[in-house]
Amino acid sequence: MIKFERVFKQYPDGNRALRDISFELESGEIAFLTGHSGAGKSTLLRLIGLLDRATGGSLLVNNRNLRKVRQRRVPVHRREVGMIFQDHRLLSDKTVFDNVALPLVIGGERFTDIRKRVNAALDRVGLLHKEKSYPLMLSGGEQQRVGIARAIVNRPPVLLADEPTGNLDPELSADLMNYFLQLNESGTTVLIASHDLALIRQLGRRVLVLKDGQLIDDIPVTEVAVAGVS
Amino acid sequence: MARQHAVVKQREGHLVRQIRAWGRRHVYSFMSSLGTLYRNRLGTLLTVVVLGIALVLPLGLYVTLKNLSRVEPVSRDLGTISVFLTPEQDQAAARQLRQEWAAWNGIANIRLISPAEAFEEFRQVSGFGAAAQALDINPLPWVLEVSPAALQDDGVPNVAALLERLEQHRGVEFAQYDLKWLQRLQAILVLAQAVVRVLMVLFSLAVVFVVGNTIRLDIENRREEIEVMSLVGATASFVRRPFLYAGLWYSLLGGLLALLILMIAMFYLSRPIEQLVAAYEGSFVLQPLSGSGAAMVLAGSGLLGLIGAGLAVRRHLRTLNIG
Repeated sequence: MIKFERVFKQYPDGNRALRDISFELESGEIAFLTGHSGAGKSTLLRLIGLLDRATGGSLLVNNRNLRKVRQRRVPVHRREVGMIFQDHRLLSDKTVFDNVALPLVIGGERFTDIRKRVNAALDRVGLLHKEKSYPLMLSGGEQQRVGIARAIVNRPPVLLADEPTGNLDPELSADLMNYFLQLNESGTTVLIASHDLALIRQLGRRVLVLKDGQLIDDIPVTEVAVAGVS
Repeated sequence: MARQHAVVKQREGHLVRQIRAWGRRHVYSFMSSLGTLYRNRLGTLLTVVVLGIALVLPLGLYVTLKNLSRVEPVSRDLGTISVFLTPEQDQAAARQLRQEWAAWNGIANIRLISPAEAFEEFRQVSGFGAAAQALDINPLPWVLEVSPAALQDDGVPNVAALLERLEQHRGVEFAQYDLKWLQRLQAILVLAQAVVRVLMVLFSLAVVFVVGNTIRLDIENRREEIEVMSLVGATASFVRRPFLYAGLWYSLLGGLLALLILMIAMFYLSRPIEQLVAAYEGSFVLQPLSGSGAAMVLAGSGLLGLIGAGLAVRRHLRTLNIG
């Protein structure tokens, strides 16, 4: 599903954000990406979502070689990869419903289908009753759940989350992680960037550890459960 | 064979779905652009008023010129040569000359004016009616009013040679043709038309820039929305479309306003103009822009708006790294 082979990312100013990254994430797997600030977590997610391009190596997502995707095909790829951002990236002048419907509208879906699927997505994150609210009327946790609903409304095979619990209290963070686990159980491949080690340890899933742009550890499920992440 | 048929069917189905999706995206952009204009009602109104005024100036001048070229003296009276015969020429001689000249090339029509008719017209028009009554005799000669046949490209009859020939003919005292006056008037009209064309180009550019600048500000105001749309998979054309529609609406509404202002102005001016023309014993009705002319104005203004919006969108979405 996601395969990195000796991937490099160097910015024009010479900053080498990722160096020689190789790992594979199977279809339907869930994994955490952790590391200090500036370790390269967000960059790695941006490469998968084609918000940025790798400068070296091979990167496959859904059997698509992202190094060879033409610029005009980038939007198609982005629609097939759900992304959740730490700052939610919601549109404040649009209702919750309109925010969640955005990927479907962009996809040119039928209006009746849009209503059904948005309602289903909002129902899944427990916010169906807030469909007419505006983002600024919601709490941080609710806003993040709207972001999740928007990411899953297109039923993407891959879901990426960049520090989704960054601004939330521990209880809300645990709730959100449970949403991700539920989504994963329904077959979605999930990759979550987080530096919340306690939460990662608690969930006991595969962990990829980044440091200074390099993958320094890839801890399988069983080992996390036994030893935890240091 | 059956499998091939199924593949073709599947491709057709895919194409139909793509076309329908494209149509739904257009409907969304259409509604979205109208919604944005409605939400920013005051800003929209100001932009439309500026565009309307910019469009009404050259439009008004164009309609004025069209009407001026229809003024009767230009087309009728000034297009004829008045040939005054010598006093000894009588009715029979005048009729003979008319018959002779009618066979010449370059003459469309000849009207015979008797001394009595000329005297009566002089008495009524000149304001010297009482003084004319005091005369014992009618001093006016027979006059032949000659209408030249062909017009040159500039609308001025080619009469110089004809005038000279008539003047040299036996029995003719002199021939009068207000050629210089007509040439000057035509030159003024040609100049005015050129000025209108220049103004049209300038004000068209103004419309393009006003719409372009308004769309640029719209893009700046919706920068966050554009970025989010791009993050969730919007194509460059999807992002562009609502702005292009907005440019079209701005300029179409501006065009409509210009037509409305023009109609009101013409309604307001029509009576004073008719009274003025009537004072010169003419008849003139101010002609409004035709239906096809109004449609052309709307189509033209819409096109200008699209061009302005297209330029702004192309320039500013590039800075957002979209498209």
